[in-house]
Amino acid sequence: MPESTQSRSLGASLTGDAVRSALLHVALYGLAFLMAVPYLYTISRSFQPNELLRDPRPYWIPPLVGEPITLEHYRYLLENTLVVQWTINTFIIAGGATILIVAIDSMIAFSLTRLDWPGQGAIMGIILASFMVPYYMNIVPLYQIVSNLGLINSYWGVIMPAAASPLGVFLLYQFFRDIPVEYEEAARLDGFSTFQVYTRIILPLAKPILSALALFMFVYNWNAFLWPLLVLSNETAYTLPIGLVNLYQGNIDTPGLHMAVAILGSLPLFVIYLIFQGQIVRAVQMQGATG
Amino acid sequence: MGISERISGGETGTNRKTVMGLRKETIEGILWSIPYLAVFTVFLVWPAVKGLYMSLHTYPNKFDLTETEWVGLQNYVELFQDPVFYNAMEGTLLFVAVSVPALVILGLVMALGVNRDVTGKRTLRAIYFSPYVLTVAVVALVWGQVYSQSYGLLNYYLGFVMENPPGWLTSPDLVMASLAFMTVWWLVGFNFVIFLAARQSIPERLYEAARLDGATGWRAFKDITLPQMRNSVVFVVMVQFILQFQVFAQPYIMTQGGPSDSSDTLVYYLYRSAFSQQQFGYGAAMGYVLVAILILIAIVNFKVIGDSNA
Repeated sequence: MPESTQSRSLGASLTGDAVRSALLHVALYGLAFLMAVPYLYTISRSFQPNELLRDPRPYWIPPLVGEPITLEHYRYLLENTLVVQWTINTFIIAGGATILIVAIDSMIAFSLTRLDWPGQGAIMGIILASFMVPYYMNIVPLYQIVSNLGLINSYWGVIMPAAASPLGVFLLYQFFRDIPVEYEEAARLDGFSTFQVYTRIILPLAKPILSALALFMFVYNWNAFLWPLLVLSNETAYTLPIGLVNLYQGNIDTPGLHMAVAILGSLPLFVIYLIFQGQIVRAVQMQGATG
Repeated sequence: MGISERISGGETGTNRKTVMGLRKETIEGILWSIPYLAVFTVFLVWPAVKGLYMSLHTYPNKFDLTETEWVGLQNYVELFQDPVFYNAMEGTLLFVAVSVPALVILGLVMALGVNRDVTGKRTLRAIYFSPYVLTVAVVALVWGQVYSQSYGLLNYYLGFVMENPPGWLTSPDLVMASLAFMTVWWLVGFNFVIFLAARQSIPERLYEAARLDGATGWRAFKDITLPQMRNSVVFVVMVQFILQFQVFAQPYIMTQGGPSDSSDTLVYYLYRSAFSQQQFGYGAAMGYVLVAILILIAIVNFKVIGDSNA
């Protein structure tokens, strides 16, 4: 008798587990599907012919039997707008900012952790404190400074303020600080100069964190909105986000065009995300772990 | 330790080569820091200082910004009597009140779910995080279509279960919640991956020990998961408060603050004051008030969530 109750409750708990596991899967994949619906909708509508606009039914790819699909929106955008130029601009700005950030942030992090000089603690304190300065608080005076430097409508006007961000310094500081001193000592005994220690010891050891930081900064600066909006007032200098919004608020007014713009605007970064997903996620997780 | 002492002793020897009485390592240290410090000073520290100066002045000549007029605290006084400012504050607080809790709680639930015994963790993570890599311009474009009252995706399907589904961006009561909901879709992945990493770093033996004491489910969550994840919760809450408080692009692109100013926000108003109406002093003052509010929020946050479990 006791034996059978035990096996029955064991069986019940097994089916209970199975049910719970199934529910969990349904919930998680259901949520994933819901989150993906805007993607599917965007892709579908970007191929929707204009003559179907009056149809209130949502248009999904693959289309219902007999419904046509069209590439006219993409052709229109590539022929009549500067979307290609904007993509190039965005690559230059995001790429330039990323290279600059990785270079100068790793240099100062190296100096603050691996060299010993008076005042470095105070400098790190000031950099940390600058986290409290919200980005948007500075836009009015920053705009004047950038304008006085003659950087309005120039790539540098977007890149330089982006490179002032303390985030990279902070992340690299944490990482460099924890590199065991033995590596460096051995190198110094072999007659390595400071520059050689930096390029041959520290940078190779920091490669994973440097690439994660670089990818995160690339994504971040690719997507930046308010600052490029202020600095780049010339249509040929726009980045993609600014160009897209300008088209959206300007004279393109069919949903198909809106959606094709959205696709063209996010495609380059989405490809990068699919390839380097792990590193981008790691860069975010590092922020959480050090915060 | 002995070796490292001897080596650093040896280094001090080479460091005796001095320029103007400075050790070689000090000079090197400064040189390696200068590139970042120069950018940091010109584009972050200097604007913060200049902003204070600007907030105490007006710029009577819109074409010659070297012409300034000292007005003391007048910009700040005007700001606190400005009904548009209070309306924008209300909109911002409403947006924060809807978006931040949703972002934090949903991110946490997603992380705890994926952390369980689930097949396809990588796929789920890839999908959950993916909207985060979109630019806000694309998010606005896409959701503009989803929310559209007449031909939008959402209202087409809602039409099956209710009559006259609302205009998500055209109703003053709904517009902020709609923008917040869209923002949750866009950014929840950031919180999700941070929470997931934090949850995965909790040692499993803590749960095993708790199970022996009969603590599972809600008890284990309250006594182990939450306290162990406290740092990341504090971090995420802070980051989201600061970020969502500065909401700008969503109303700027999708609603221009409307309908009837119901989706105006502080940063959007700051943008209009300084860059449409050319009131630079006023805009700079608003920037400073924003910082004061954010610091206040940060202190309250630390007091409330930082200490409650300590």
